Amino acid sequence: MDDLIAYIATSLVDDPTQVEVKTLRRGAQVIYSLHVAKEDMGRIIGKSGRVAGAMRTLLRVAAAQEGKRAILEIAEPD
Amino acid sequence: MAEQRTSLEVIAPSVEEAVERGLEDLGLSADDVEVEILDSGSKGLFGLGLRQARVRLMVKQSAQPADQELTLLERPAEEDLEDLSFETEIEAFDLEEDEPELPARPVFEVVDDENTLEIAQAVVQELLARMKIQARLTVCYGEPDDPKDRAPLLVDVRGDDLSILIGPKAETLNALQYIAGLIIGKEVGHSVPLVVDVEGYRARRTQQIRQLARHLAEQAVRTGRRQVLEPMPASERRLVHIELRDHPEVITESIGEDPRRKVTIIPK
Repeated sequence: MDDLIAYIATSLVDDPTQVEVKTLRRGAQVIYSLHVAKEDMGRIIGKSGRVAGAMRTLLRVAAAQEGKRAILEIAEPD
Repeated sequence: MAEQRTSLEVIAPSVEEAVERGLEDLGLSADDVEVEILDSGSKGLFGLGLRQARVRLMVKQSAQPADQELTLLERPAEEDLEDLSFETEIEAFDLEEDEPELPARPVFEVVDDENTLEIAQAVVQELLARMKIQARLTVCYGEPDDPKDRAPLLVDVRGDDLSILIGPKAETLNALQYIAGLIIGKEVGHSVPLVVDVEGYRARRTQQIRQLARHLAEQAVRTGRRQVLEPMPASERRLVHIELRDHPEVITESIGEDPRRKVTIIPK
């Protein structure tokens, strides 16, 4: 599932080399933390968070296929 | 065995119709199946449901299959998610309708000098593979909602049990369409109108909305009262406006704020 997030993020940003998806486990939940270049934050969040919202929807479906629950966090830029 | 039961998912304008159609396909009677309503659809006005109903029919173990059709409907035993094989056809100018119950879509000839069809097909395929969804894709140019618009890229997704890809109020389908559209736009270098459809869901809904628009316009004229539709996304409100813009006796207007924005049909 991290590859879904990574694929979408690298396809949308201007600087794909800065895309990183970290996987964290908190109990039964899997948390994907997405990091992109500061200049690309807007592209993965979108107007009113629309891009991030759509990514979360797709991630939820992908996770449900494996009977899991996944959360997407967008990391603060350094 | 319980996990292996044959089930069939049906999408139809109403729950009753979906069940009926499913039973017909299975060759079974209502007593032989358990019905799970996945989406009861919108209540619908005057017999024109605004959202399709989805049901899952699960065959009870005691049920005797009417014929060998049942075995055909059984899901493949090995569902190896690692080995996602896609059968893809790109049909730019020739859409073969192998499922005749769906309304035939006219296919528009469009100069495709940027390999947009190939890019669109590859992007949707990549997304679905990473969502662990097995499907077949057909990509072509479709008919624009408004004859003045550019012909949209149409990606039709087909496969078994794809209701997960539609989601409540087509939420998942819209998210997929939005993300795929952004990626394709980025790769092509400019925005591209894109429609992602699953099992003809959008095609049927478009037909219904147009029909409903005409019906409510008629009602507005007959009663002299404004008619208010239920809240709809922008793409669907647009269909109503386009359908009625040349209507001599009504005007249309959207009121309210998204996501509760809705169309009203006002007699002149």
